[in-house]
Amino acid sequence: MAATAMLESERPVIHRLPQHKYIDAVRWLPPLSTFDRFAVLAAFDTDSGSSSIEIHSLNPNPLSLQPHSSFSSSSRVSSLRASQFLQKTVVAASTAAGSLHILFSDPADATFESEVSMPEEEGLHSVPGSCVDLMDGGVECVTVGEDGRVNLVSIGNSNLSCDRLFDSGGLVSYTAAKWASPMEFATGGYGFSLQWWDKRKPGGPVSQFKANWDQKFTAGIVHSIDIHPSRKHTCLAGGSLGTVFAWDLRWQQQPIILSGAEVQSISESEVWEVQYDRCIKSSATSTRILPAMICSEDGILAVIEQGEEPIELLAEPCAINGFDIDRHNPSDVICSLEWEAVAILTRR
Amino acid sequence: MSRVASDTVGNGALVPFSEDTKDSLAVYPLHHGLAPPISRIAISWARGNSLRVSLFATPSSEPSRTPQDQSGGKVLEVKLGVGDPEISDSRWRQIAYGSVAPFALLQSRRSALSEMIKSSSPYQMDWWENVLEYSKDITSLLSGPKLPPGPIIEERTDIVKKREEPTCLKAAWELLEIFYADKQSQAWLPEKLVDWLADYDSLFSSTHETVYGKLARFQKELVDIQVLEDDPRYWEVMSSALSVGWLDIVVKMLRLHGSYQLDQLSNRELENGLVEAVAVLISKMPRLCHESTNGKLGELFKSKPDFIKAWEKWRSQITKLDCSPFWIQCGNHHTREGLRNLLQIMLGNTESLCMATCYWIELYISHFLYIRPFTTGIESMYNLAQKCIQLKPPSSNHKLTGLIVGILEENTEVVLAESSREFGPWMVAHAIELLTAGSEQAEIVLHDERYNLGGISMIELHRLVYAQVLSSHALTWQIAPIYLTSCMKQGMGLLENLLYRQSIQHNDLLLKNIEICRLYELDHISSDIMKVAGVYHWKHGHKGAGVYWLQQSKDTSRLNRIAQQLFDSVGKSISDESFKQWEGLIELLGSESKPAGGLEFLHKYRDFKRSLQQVYGGKATDAARQAVGSLILLMKNPSTPQRFWLPLLYDSLKLFNWHECPLLNVSETNLLLNKLQELSWARLRPHFSEPNLPAEALSSIRLALATNLGRAILDE
Repeated sequence: MAATAMLESERPVIHRLPQHKYIDAVRWLPPLSTFDRFAVLAAFDTDSGSSSIEIHSLNPNPLSLQPHSSFSSSSRVSSLRASQFLQKTVVAASTAAGSLHILFSDPADATFESEVSMPEEEGLHSVPGSCVDLMDGGVECVTVGEDGRVNLVSIGNSNLSCDRLFDSGGLVSYTAAKWASPMEFATGGYGFSLQWWDKRKPGGPVSQFKANWDQKFTAGIVHSIDIHPSRKHTCLAGGSLGTVFAWDLRWQQQPIILSGAEVQSISESEVWEVQYDRCIKSSATSTRILPAMICSEDGILAVIEQGEEPIELLAEPCAINGFDIDRHNPSDVICSLEWEAVAILTRR
Repeated sequence: MSRVASDTVGNGALVPFSEDTKDSLAVYPLHHGLAPPISRIAISWARGNSLRVSLFATPSSEPSRTPQDQSGGKVLEVKLGVGDPEISDSRWRQIAYGSVAPFALLQSRRSALSEMIKSSSPYQMDWWENVLEYSKDITSLLSGPKLPPGPIIEERTDIVKKREEPTCLKAAWELLEIFYADKQSQAWLPEKLVDWLADYDSLFSSTHETVYGKLARFQKELVDIQVLEDDPRYWEVMSSALSVGWLDIVVKMLRLHGSYQLDQLSNRELENGLVEAVAVLISKMPRLCHESTNGKLGELFKSKPDFIKAWEKWRSQITKLDCSPFWIQCGNHHTREGLRNLLQIMLGNTESLCMATCYWIELYISHFLYIRPFTTGIESMYNLAQKCIQLKPPSSNHKLTGLIVGILEENTEVVLAESSREFGPWMVAHAIELLTAGSEQAEIVLHDERYNLGGISMIELHRLVYAQVLSSHALTWQIAPIYLTSCMKQGMGLLENLLYRQSIQHNDLLLKNIEICRLYELDHISSDIMKVAGVYHWKHGHKGAGVYWLQQSKDTSRLNRIAQQLFDSVGKSISDESFKQWEGLIELLGSESKPAGGLEFLHKYRDFKRSLQQVYGGKATDAARQAVGSLILLMKNPSTPQRFWLPLLYDSLKLFNWHECPLLNVSETNLLLNKLQELSWARLRPHFSEPNLPAEALSSIRLALATNLGRAILDE
């Protein structure tokens, strides 16, 4: 379905910044002062075969990213989160080899100051692929993986302590995780499955989403989950075949499909990331799902809203592998593009 | 033939050598860290331009002391070649990414056009306009980063300025564009070449002296020169710049003449007048040009007659000045000779031009400017070039000269060969589009299917080569399909190979691969890839992921196979508590409509277990009836593995002995008894695995069933 055409004056300002490295993940850093802005990039340099987590400062006029501080990672980053804890910026990165790095950056100049890691030998996850989410306020991480493990990692100043909440022994794989509250989080996996967990109740998910998908509907993999702080009972998920759906814990059986199948699909390929879009003031009533931003393998960055035409912000010739909306300045979006570049959008 | 000596030198480097080509000797040090001697070396190709070198250490006879010594060998990858010194690998990748969209657009326009021709609409004569648009897109892609703007207040002595760092690649592309794609500029070819040289003369400095080189050197020394006009280099550099038509530079330099200084103006009035007169003449030089080139000196004329008129007038003004009596009165010898030499250049004095220019291309350009401004037709341009090469024979060959000669010779094959040799596969694959737009003859040469190429055309060959290069890199393989699908004969086959070759270990990559299959409707390949992924995950213990991918590929036979393995662990581990682990997997199997192979058993098994749990929890007869229903369904279903029969029945003992009423009717009980009978026959066969149940299990089931049968008969 065609996206709503935008007026020229409404179009976002787009800057594409080549990085000469593959960008595995990208996040804004919480702002440290009014004037300086920073983003954290997980980069992979194919020429040297090295991976790094880099803080870049954002310079205006002309808009550019300047490398600021860097940490070299032992393997490629599979997911990246940034948060703030006690005036310190905390960056959490899980790697393809199954290790977890927690980096603390100095609030004054945004350079990496200290680091605690859980190396792959400690068996947090067996390869391949794991995903991390950092709790808001940043004292605890949840890591999930294809190996079916669900770990809670609490962050200390000099060490990490890991607590295995669940191990499916590979019977179920998890591909996404997101905190809902300091006690609860959601995970997603194959077959568009979603699970709801409570730290206080180990031994398995508290609730599982059992979708009655239509016969025609083919299930895929959940790549990303978001939960809005004001609506903790709703879990927004994006995955294969351009599918974005919401699962309301109160109406367990029926997913609310926002995109995909025969609903206003803006993309037919993998939706790599979803985030609630806090920039758009929704006209919708409280019963509707809040507007969300998605990015996809076929190069689309768009805002979708229940019952509305999707708004296309960016259509690239290559995949958009991930994006992040600046929480403190929600009109700004940073995206990682397949072709070794980063795009920064400023919405007007 | 070059031989590779598998000989290790002192530091353990592998040295390839050949007797006749000592110059091309390349040494790649290997840091293998093995203790010598190395007993054997095996070399094979790795991805792209890398060699995989496997080194085997001599097995030591005495037992090794430290664990480090035990490594019997090592495998290393050696990247061959130093790459392009002008363009880094990452810049090449950027070019590769950027050229995808223009290339794809041009291809889609071409196929749209051929559709139109089929539907017998008049042939579109403006195809070259599409090609030109494509060429402009590529040109802007090849532009390097803009150099930082110089200081706002310009130095008096800033003569040469660079807007961006020129590259041979871009120079070559623009040259091809001028000659092949830009049909509009055919009439202005010489003028276009003048502009081209102004942009790229500096590139030739790498192999010979150039006007640009002279200027740049002189600029450095300029500040130290006291009396500029007395320095012969000042006049020499100016005449050189004028000979290649860099008018603004010459005028700017002339204005640096000492006679302009305020304290000198009064006693050097005449000298200054002459300098100014020449400067004005230079800035008034007529140029034949179709578009206003902003900021450039000279008077621009769009039509030929106007230009010829102005040209004649300008020449007569120069002659008049040349014959003027003022020269005798000019006291400064250097100024007089220098200025008159400039006039000679403008008058097209062959000797002066020859003196002023550094190599044949500059001389060639100066001919266009001052001797034959009306040269048209490639043939006469080629003759002129030959004349210039004779006058200034090249001492060494530059990358670009071979290409220029090939173009002027109108030899498509030479142009292709030069582009390929000097600029690599990217250049050929993309420049071919310009060549085919150039002439019908070139198009025939390039589109002709050749027996010696295995029945493919030159175009296809070069696209395939480029696609191979793209395929060999982890970050560019995804754009190779765009080029492969534009190859009619071999493209699809190679695309299938490419897709099969990608790693399936990481979901991201796997999904990107499947997405490409979807785009090109290669369902059979994506189904195969998903099978491979399913088996991979299964083998690595990610049972859920394995089942998912096998389901996606609708591989019922494999699902049946893995079902058997899965049931082994079900039989062992499913107790009522650990069933939670299985829930997720069972959910994954989804609705009945999906192919699940033997795994659909799990679904029913779960339903049965669940209702059984309810029975044990509460006492509701309804739940018990439901459980019986599930049990009967399970026992009737052919996909229920035999080894589960007994455990299922044993679990159901409570149902058979239900005290309120018999839960199973006669026929149901008979069914179960028959199954029991079947089981006792099966026991006699080899390979029967005894379920892990108490010894009295079978007899207690029999008894319970018999009791139930009795009660059921009475009921009925």
